[in-house]
Amino acid sequence: MTRILCVAEKPSISKAVAGHLSGGHYQTNNTRDAYIKNYTFDFDFGPPWGHCSVTMTAVKGHLTAVEFPGEYKQWEYPPPDRLFDAPVLTVIPNDNKSIAKNIEDQARRASALVIWTDCDREGEHIGSEIRAAARKGNAQIQIKRARFSNVERAHILSAARRLIALDDRQVDAVSARIELDLRIGYAFTRFLTLNLRPLGGPLSKLTLSYGSCQFPTLGFVVDRYFRVKNFVPEPFWGIKVMHERDDIKVNFNWSRHRLFDRMSVVILYERCLSARTAKVTKVQEKPTKKWKPLPLTTVELQKMATRFLRMTGQQAMTVAEKLYNKGFISYPRTETDRFDKGMNLRALVQKQTQDARWGPFAQNLVDGGFQQPRQGRHDDKAHPPIHPITYAAPTALDDSERRVYELVTRRFLACCAEDARGSATDVELLYGDEAFAARGVVVLARNYLDVYPYENWTGTAELPRFVVGERFEPTEAMVTEGKTSPPGYLTEADLIALMDANGIGTDATMAEHIEKIQERQYARTVERGGGGGGNQAAEEDEPEPPAAAARGGRGRGRGRGGGRGGARGGRGGPAPGRGGGVREFIPTSLGVALIEGFDRMHFETSLGKPFLRKEMELKMKAICEGRTTKQVVLHESLGEYRQVYEQSRAELNILKAACRQYVFQNGG
Amino acid sequence: MDIPHQLHTSLSTTTTPLPSLPWLTSLTTSRHPPPPLASLLATARTRLLCSDLTTPNLLDPQYAATHTLPPHLQQTHAATRETKLAQDVVVQVLDIEDISRSTWEQVEELEAVARGEGTRGREVVRLPTSTNNGNGAGEDGEGGVGEGTQDPGQGQAQQQQSGGGSSKNSTHKLVVQDCKGQKVHAIELKRVERLAVGKTFIGEKILLRAGTVVARGAVLLDPALCVVLGGKVEAWHRAWVDGRLARLREAAGAERRG
Repeated sequence: MTRILCVAEKPSISKAVAGHLSGGHYQTNNTRDAYIKNYTFDFDFGPPWGHCSVTMTAVKGHLTAVEFPGEYKQWEYPPPDRLFDAPVLTVIPNDNKSIAKNIEDQARRASALVIWTDCDREGEHIGSEIRAAARKGNAQIQIKRARFSNVERAHILSAARRLIALDDRQVDAVSARIELDLRIGYAFTRFLTLNLRPLGGPLSKLTLSYGSCQFPTLGFVVDRYFRVKNFVPEPFWGIKVMHERDDIKVNFNWSRHRLFDRMSVVILYERCLSARTAKVTKVQEKPTKKWKPLPLTTVELQKMATRFLRMTGQQAMTVAEKLYNKGFISYPRTETDRFDKGMNLRALVQKQTQDARWGPFAQNLVDGGFQQPRQGRHDDKAHPPIHPITYAAPTALDDSERRVYELVTRRFLACCAEDARGSATDVELLYGDEAFAARGVVVLARNYLDVYPYENWTGTAELPRFVVGERFEPTEAMVTEGKTSPPGYLTEADLIALMDANGIGTDATMAEHIEKIQERQYARTVERGGGGGGNQAAEEDEPEPPAAAARGGRGRGRGRGGGRGGARGGRGGPAPGRGGGVREFIPTSLGVALIEGFDRMHFETSLGKPFLRKEMELKMKAICEGRTTKQVVLHESLGEYRQVYEQSRAELNILKAACRQYVFQNGG
Repeated sequence: MDIPHQLHTSLSTTTTPLPSLPWLTSLTTSRHPPPPLASLLATARTRLLCSDLTTPNLLDPQYAATHTLPPHLQQTHAATRETKLAQDVVVQVLDIEDISRSTWEQVEELEAVARGEGTRGREVVRLPTSTNNGNGAGEDGEGGVGEGTQDPGQGQAQQQQSGGGSSKNSTHKLVVQDCKGQKVHAIELKRVERLAVGKTFIGEKILLRAGTVVARGAVLLDPALCVVLGGKVEAWHRAWVDGRLARLREAAGAERRG
């Protein structure tokens, strides 16, 4: 009988896959690693292998690491820039030696290796490490890869019978990134630490680490910090028209919204008054919708978790990972926000009908309310959007798992429901030369909102009847005055969104970089509330569904006195933790000094800006798509960073001055 | 009829301010042999639009006398709720600001441009610096617009981008000056598409048609009653662009905070 070796990325997956393939009948053998077991069983892979004897085992993430040879381990010598072209060794760390040996030994007796690592770039690279270990034991071994995105039984069985090849382009992309991170990270970390420690004080004991994602992430935090700090409030004026009819006070908004020039507003206002009557130019009643959410991606999951679950993005990912390992949800690292048309989503909805909280809603979908989810524009071609795979009873989960599972499930059910429906009435006036408009919205059917407490849609009062062409004298017309308020500091959701838009990190690693800048004491988080406008998160909450398209154009500092911050409290439902628990990122003086120091050097591309890193990410993508190669990318990127290194060394005094200014509060 | 007179007659039928005969004479005698009439006409128009309207002997005296604002408009009309211009008036733009955006917002944007950064939604993008390719330097890059005798239409296109966020809903406030040197505020009563920060040149000429409303001493602009003629006074524009950030910062009161 053919012998097949299967290796998963982590023990939990190995056990789950072994369970499915064997139908629950497998033998367990211990290995020299306490956490790694070898499961043996029989399985019919179908042609060409047919019935096989299988050993299933696992690694614990990456099997190898890269490092510099011993003579480069001293910080003082050789100089840090030598690390840009020093040799790099791939080694198996001590922790992993017995795991690698296990694979090597098992491979000797197997004719083929099936790699069951997670299906993403990182997983592909881990697959290549497993391949190398297996080939050490058996150079002839055939290599295959299973492609799967969740550990549900039928899915695993079909993956086992449709094996594919390992994608070496993805492997190359990751190994390029690993090598770049090593060289650049070490060179700049040593450069910073060696040069800034002598300044003494709090710097004398710190390791000032540099990471090509960390710094731009910190850059966003610092940038927003200065925008808040430097903000200059300005007065503005507007015209407000109110008309009372049928006991309803209707407020009409000025089409110019507001102007920052009092004289102009007074002149325009006076012309309204001298016109005496306003004329109704348009009355339109039409159905309106609040769109249901898009299918869930990793970035969205993290953003929602930070906003609604009182978790950091990192914690949310750890919990989601656990839920995935247990088979409750699909793979949580995905960029895809569209479900494949072929997926049987109704069957997944059906599984949720037994729940006490959302079961009736799911049942309603099963009974005919089901609607195909909206199709987003992103598809990573590897994983579907995050969705529940099987039903998890609340008792089967711990508290944080329960909350993340609930979020994933509610989001999924909302995706499969109907948009919320309402009716909107628009009335437009011409008063003198000025145009005004009022809108009334009546919510007719909440639909998806019934299962999705993370959003709300409250109608406004119904408008009284107006007729096109009628003239009336408004009950009240007045000049209003207000003041601009600063943007808020970045929340974790904001930061993730910025990283996402600027290509800093992958959806899977963003949360780690955010943790890192806090761990390194470059930034910290504080509870929102002590100042700041608190208006910027409101953009996610536009009451109008198609508002997404308009987001890009949103101006800065345009918030209306932060008035919206308070309006988001009353969500109720199972999403506690909204009560002002949002945390904001503020850079430490050290964080400010580092970013300011590099920015003030005025390179074409400061290390605090996202540009260099973004190029690197784009190059990784290009390797994956076969448009360039690992060697070319290494050469180009190292060239760029080496140049920045040279410039930084030449302008070191600027960086030191920034440290003295911010960390020691002297000079400037 | 000699060439200057011919030009004079031709120009008098257009919306272009009518130059004086001596000015036209010096224009035509500087070229030997004189180019065809059509091209002279174009040159005259371009030069005129790029001149300071208050230059003595630039305009035809009769034209100048009739195409000016009522004297001391700002003082005499401050108490007047509404009056209308009795005749066409030609003015040049001395300043333009978008009063629908806060000054600080514009300061932040200009500072970002100066750093070579722009934003596209949440994305921070690097702007190409010091190029004339129309996508380039933006408001602080006076580079784009050539030597003053250039056709104003072209210059327009080059400056279009970085319109400073002007949109359909913007409201602009200008300082305009007539040929007698009187300066008044002009406010967009209705949106005039050709006016915008980054699009309008300093020194650009506007013809205010008879019937244009003047309220409290300020001219109210209505696209039906004003013709943007184009043009630019190079030195003024350059100075305006160079000093804009400092002016905005001062207006926002940022200097108080150091």
